[in-house]
Amino acid sequence: MTAPEGGPLLRVEELHAAYGPVAALRGLDLTVGQGELVCLIGANGAGKTSTLRAISGLLPAARGRILFDGRPIHAAEPAEILEAGIAHCPEGRRVFPYLTVQENLEMGAYVRRDRHAVAEDLERVCTHFPILAERRRQMAGTLSGGEQQMLAIARALMARPRLILFDEPSLGLAPTLVETTFEIIADIRRRGTTVLMVEQNAYGALRMADRGYVMETGRIVLAGPARALLDDDHVRRAYLGG
Amino acid sequence: MEQLLQHLVNGLVLGGTYALLGIGLTLIFGLMNVVNFAHGEFYTLGAYAAFAALALGGVDFVVAVLAAIGAGALLGALCERVLLRPLRAESIDTTMLVMIGVWIAMQNGELLVWGGVAKSIPHPFPTAPLVLGPVSIAPLRVFVLVLAAGLIAASYLLIHRTKLGRAMRATFQDRDTAALMGVRISRIHTATFAFGSALAAAAGALLGPVFLAYPSMGDLAALKAFCVVILGGLGNLPGATLGGLLLGIAEELGAGYVSSGYRDAVGFVIIILVLLLRPSGLFAREERIG
Repeated sequence: MTAPEGGPLLRVEELHAAYGPVAALRGLDLTVGQGELVCLIGANGAGKTSTLRAISGLLPAARGRILFDGRPIHAAEPAEILEAGIAHCPEGRRVFPYLTVQENLEMGAYVRRDRHAVAEDLERVCTHFPILAERRRQMAGTLSGGEQQMLAIARALMARPRLILFDEPSLGLAPTLVETTFEIIADIRRRGTTVLMVEQNAYGALRMADRGYVMETGRIVLAGPARALLDDDHVRRAYLGG
Repeated sequence: MEQLLQHLVNGLVLGGTYALLGIGLTLIFGLMNVVNFAHGEFYTLGAYAAFAALALGGVDFVVAVLAAIGAGALLGALCERVLLRPLRAESIDTTMLVMIGVWIAMQNGELLVWGGVAKSIPHPFPTAPLVLGPVSIAPLRVFVLVLAAGLIAASYLLIHRTKLGRAMRATFQDRDTAALMGVRISRIHTATFAFGSALAAAAGALLGPVFLAYPSMGDLAALKAFCVVILGGLGNLPGATLGGLLLGIAEELGAGYVSSGYRDAVGFVIIILVLLLRPSGLFAREERIG
């Protein structure tokens, strides 16, 4: 069963989730359309990371539904969700420090069975990120922060996802690298992959996004076209520094 | 000097099997955070499996070792699937108690099936030692050393050259991110426990014919495996390998130059020293698997 033409690729409905007794998501609703770049902004602890973790199956949903391409995925395992086409590039990059760059990339393609296409993608990714090609046999833990971010993005691409979740891709990077990272993400979207991104750099994120959601205490409090959010008084005061 | 060479060779034979025991335990400990008190029982299982295959089945020695490996892997997988998987969210103390239970149950099971009398495991090798210059060594021991080295090499290949091994290392380094890559963590746990248990069983099948098989033989083996893990550092494969060889050689030297009564004490003296001076292990780089 696929979604009707033009229907959202991802739909989150009334989602509740908790870490033990601590509620993280309290009735979250959001949609991401095919080909869109959507960003999720909000203060620390608002539930942005929890939202992504719930979508990719790391945080079990207590109530509510998550539909990907019309199919419910809120009860699925992370591996099944990845196989369905959602890759998650986690906060803090989280490359495997004692695997080589190449092994990290191979881990990105772990669920794929098409070995020849994986080998091709590996070459393609290395052409696209020459720095990774150079460091192919090096342990990922020896890379700089920026290089690790490239690796984390490349690793997510190795799954050939239809939707990529980015969690704070600019966190801890030098300003020029933030720019590069955003350009890479915009480029990924241009090539046809849908993106849902969580960012504390609200200005940078909204500038490149189609639509934005503002989260507070586990739910969406504001939604709209990214341009409109950039001009919104509340958003300006709370997230854009006036 | 001539005596020293002889001790070193004997130490290597012993150490190779200690390394197998240690690699199995360190993988289970490092990846699953389970203190496997039943590890020695898989060693015993391996010895009895080899005994059954050789004395009752009349098969080749290599086939007997393979049978022991199969038995260890099978029972290990079963043990993980039935006892440990439901307890994955529980604390390390809980699983440790469960493994103590498995230890007691398996040891008494062995007593029930095989009786308390020690069994000599028949092997096809001539008893006349090979003499190479100053060193004389029984053909059986040569075979044990070669097979242990082969199994250690196979373990390295599995961990470093296969997709399963890569997933095991990734899981050890970052469990959540490995899950995001599509690694089914439960399956990695089952595979790890089966693999570790198979190595322990292999060690039992190899050393069983050198000594004797009896139900409580695994107790000392388990303690030595823990020594090797402490020596080598948590989840550290080269550390467990070197730690095993080191322990074997130290025991031989202790037995040869101090008193054979102190053979088993040597290892524990070393452990106390390591824990006092280098508690993260002799070869620890960081916590690691691989």
